[in-house]
Amino acid sequence: MGEAGAFVAELNDLQRLLDEFTKHGYTVYGPIVKGKSWVFSKVSSIRELDLNYTRTILPPKKLLHPVKNRIFDFKLNDGFEVFESCNVKNIVIFGIHPCDLRAIEKLDEFFSQHPEDVCYEARRKRTLIVGLTCNAVDEKCFCNSLGTGPEASTGFDILITQISDGFFLVEVGSSKGLDILKTLDLAEAKPEHFEAKRKHIEHLKSSFTKTADFEGLATLAKDKLDHKIWVETAERCLSCGNCSMVCPVCYCFDLYDSLDLTLKEGVRIMELDSCQLLEYAEVALGGNFRKERSQRLRHWLLCKFGAAGGSTYTSCIGCGRCIVYCPANIDLTEIAHVLKGG
Amino acid sequence: MKLKIGVFKFTSCSGCQIELLRINENLPGLLNLMDFQNWTMASSNVQQGPYDIAIVEGGISTPEGIEEIKTIRRNSKLLIAIGDCAVFGGIPSIRNWMKQREAEDLVYPKPEHLKSMKVSSIDEYVKVDVYLKGCPPHLDDMLEALKAAILNIRPRLRQHPVCIECKFYENECLLTTYKQACMGPVTAAGCGAICPNVGRTCEGCYGPMSNPNVKSMVERLREIGLTDEDIMRKFRKYAGTSEYYREVARL
Repeated sequence: MGEAGAFVAELNDLQRLLDEFTKHGYTVYGPIVKGKSWVFSKVSSIRELDLNYTRTILPPKKLLHPVKNRIFDFKLNDGFEVFESCNVKNIVIFGIHPCDLRAIEKLDEFFSQHPEDVCYEARRKRTLIVGLTCNAVDEKCFCNSLGTGPEASTGFDILITQISDGFFLVEVGSSKGLDILKTLDLAEAKPEHFEAKRKHIEHLKSSFTKTADFEGLATLAKDKLDHKIWVETAERCLSCGNCSMVCPVCYCFDLYDSLDLTLKEGVRIMELDSCQLLEYAEVALGGNFRKERSQRLRHWLLCKFGAAGGSTYTSCIGCGRCIVYCPANIDLTEIAHVLKGG
Repeated sequence: MKLKIGVFKFTSCSGCQIELLRINENLPGLLNLMDFQNWTMASSNVQQGPYDIAIVEGGISTPEGIEEIKTIRRNSKLLIAIGDCAVFGGIPSIRNWMKQREAEDLVYPKPEHLKSMKVSSIDEYVKVDVYLKGCPPHLDDMLEALKAAILNIRPRLRQHPVCIECKFYENECLLTTYKQACMGPVTAAGCGAICPNVGRTCEGCYGPMSNPNVKSMVERLREIGLTDEDIMRKFRKYAGTSEYYREVARL
């Protein structure tokens, strides 16, 4: 916590921070209101941001692992020519909550394994992360139960916590973060400010109404592949894919080529996919490894419990998005509860 | 060698052909690959088949139509059904749920001259090679189908629900957040979520996705206050006679 230094700031200081990012050539994204929801969007003023947001529709993964991404252009002449382009720019993602910070760390771990996703890595290297301790939790949040929040200790360049109205503790998480903060001449944080943050975190921890117990589920769920909960829940499941699309750690993608009308040139597209879709596990000649809805639902839940091929890279971080956006009110914490014999 | 194409229309509004005409900047590229030999909407210069590809809009609703579609099939190597009317019967098939003479009386002062039957998808009578859902199907899907036909590969057509495209655009969820009767979770994507993009619910115009959970969708619509009659109308609108929707549309 604030090992590399910490400062205090007022709202206009945060505006100066945004200006400093812009001066350094960064495009800043932050949580803004969209109707009754929130989205990470380009911002230039701190007033555009809603620092009281609960959760965005899409997690920050949309900026690091875009829903649709042109990974290269190709030409078919005598041979096969490829023109790679990651199309990377300097960005700041401002205001990421602790659960989503943890999710980015998981994405980082996953995409840096061999074979690395070079575009992800290029994008990630040019991204500054500004975390934001939540101001409040809602009835769908359960990071506290999983230990992925509400306090973040890693995964950010800068971490902001509102410790009283319009007054913020600004902690440093990396040398890049420190370099930018140094230019602002902010007052150093004192023990009382850390104490205020500690109290805020304590308050947050006592406000959770949703709990989840995923302990040991990775093994347990694998032993209960025939549990009736899978089939029962699948009767409600629409296989709409919302849960995985909005999940901050669901990275699964599809790759396809799109040719132009010369039929000699085209692009290869990487597009976010969902294991809930019938086509996801389809192979040549119409074979399908997960034809049944219950198999697909079970697969996703096992994945969130840390039991699928993705292991813990894709396990749940407790943001609550899949619960919010499930039209059929499927709640993975309730399924965990049933599996554990509750 | 350019492919010989014929474009045909049965019981429908011609909107699918209009969408195909929207080809504009793609036209020169397309004309390098194919020769539209029979497309009365675009040219009065009509050549009879055989064709490499028949593009067919509309459902079948007359005895003559049956003969005609069979002739087209015989004269074409590949048959692409474009739009809900050709694929499911489409909007005209709403009248399938009432007596034929009642429907006729509603529209025509002297229906005794009509020789009309219930509306069918074209695959009721002939084999269809490629189905392009939509009212109308997106031009990109039509181009994808044509390119795939030339390359002799399977076209990449989205069969997953509109929800996926909605998330691509990060639209607010009309069903979960606003409790509106959005058909997205059962409807095939391909439109680019154009209705939710402007804050309107999905009307279901691409028909059923690859395996919709219709039973659960009916429950969701009931939960937000729709009557069974409202729900029946929603499922009847574009693809009421389809295998997946038939049961609810009959309600």
